[in-house]
Amino acid sequence: MTESRAGGPSARRGPGELESEILSLLWTSPTAMGAGAVQEQLSGELAYTTVVTILSRLHDKGVLQRARSGRSYVYAPVYDEAGLAARRMRQVLDKEGDRQAVLARFVSDLSTDDEALLRRLLEEGGS
Amino acid sequence: MRWIVYLPLLLPITSVPVARLAADHLAPRRVVVLLTALTCVLALCATISLGLLTVVGTAQLPGVPLPDHWSDPQVRASIPNVQVIGSLAGAALASALVCVAIVSHRRRRALAALRAGVATAGDTELTVLPTGPPTAFALPGRRPRIVVSASMLARLDADERRALLAHERAHLSGRHDRVLLVATLAMCAHPLLRPMRTAIAYALERCADEAAARVVGDRRVVARAVGKAALAGPVTPRGAMAATGGPVPRRVAALLAPTPADRWPTPWSRPGAATLIALGGAALSTWATWDAAIDLHAILLTADHML
Repeated sequence: MTESRAGGPSARRGPGELESEILSLLWTSPTAMGAGAVQEQLSGELAYTTVVTILSRLHDKGVLQRARSGRSYVYAPVYDEAGLAARRMRQVLDKEGDRQAVLARFVSDLSTDDEALLRRLLEEGGS
Repeated sequence: MRWIVYLPLLLPITSVPVARLAADHLAPRRVVVLLTALTCVLALCATISLGLLTVVGTAQLPGVPLPDHWSDPQVRASIPNVQVIGSLAGAALASALVCVAIVSHRRRRALAALRAGVATAGDTELTVLPTGPPTAFALPGRRPRIVVSASMLARLDADERRALLAHERAHLSGRHDRVLLVATLAMCAHPLLRPMRTAIAYALERCADEAAARVVGDRRVVARAVGKAALAGPVTPRGAMAATGGPVPRRVAALLAPTPADRWPTPWSRPGAATLIALGGAALSTWATWDAAIDLHAILLTADHML
């Protein structure tokens, strides 16, 4: 999958966008990750120092915690603050009327027919 | 001030064909521009004509603080059944205003609550919700945010996560929330504009999908991200829908099909004809509103002279 985008438009990314990408990667990782592992898993060519800079900035912002591992750090998301945020937002997210008041979600709910149709579409052309 | 004043209340119906056809035949950005412009014109004209009917119709009711001569027989005679229709128009206008108030209030409240929640998580563009069902949305504002649940991230691979983030970013940078708000408020002004709001909401998602495809450089990656995300969510049993399916399968099918041509439809094609009908409706509505307003003005001037 990665080779399909070789030299693609992934090179131009702002610092905010890189933060989001790295943060989302760490949230899907079962274990804490070092800068090298993050660099490896990210699509596109990113300098090691860039990854280190962004990781430490995310740590400064309080969304990542870090632990020493040998001579460097490994990073993992901070669960407590995020959990608090989630609880605060849950009320809005659970109320259908309020949820619609904000911008539409990434995907809307499927009907049973939609589900079958979608699975067929993805099998036919999604790979 | 005859039957013409009622035209803007009927003409929103000319937008129904284009609301149905535009999304599948035009580039999404053009759909948004065309439908939003049409919706604004039709809603504005309908509201003004309701206002005109209300002013004239209720002027003669006791207790209404308007100049006395507005209840002059000449003014009254110029519109048949003016009192009944005036009251109906007044009620319609009032309910439209209530609808606008409810929509704005709900939006403000929901945005404030979500922003307060996000603020506790830290100063980053992305906020991840560690618990809860798969969800993802953009939170507009002075500091725009993207909110995604961990369960959603877990379903997607690295490329698909980039597609998801790029999709939400496109909503934020394009201020799609404002377009959707305008469309929702227009629907308050006239219920026949509901299909337009649905079509605009869908076109905005398509815009964000195509923007994400330009960022990740592969439309199939976006199709997979949308598809996987939807399959991760709840499935509600519902009656058979149109063959094209709901919005999500339509988006995925559109992403798997070739990029839509970025041009206006030819007038003799079906979407072209629908566009012309709606443009004609909007033009006629504008003219009718203008004409009715001028008429009312003339009637009142005459009434003034007769005193």
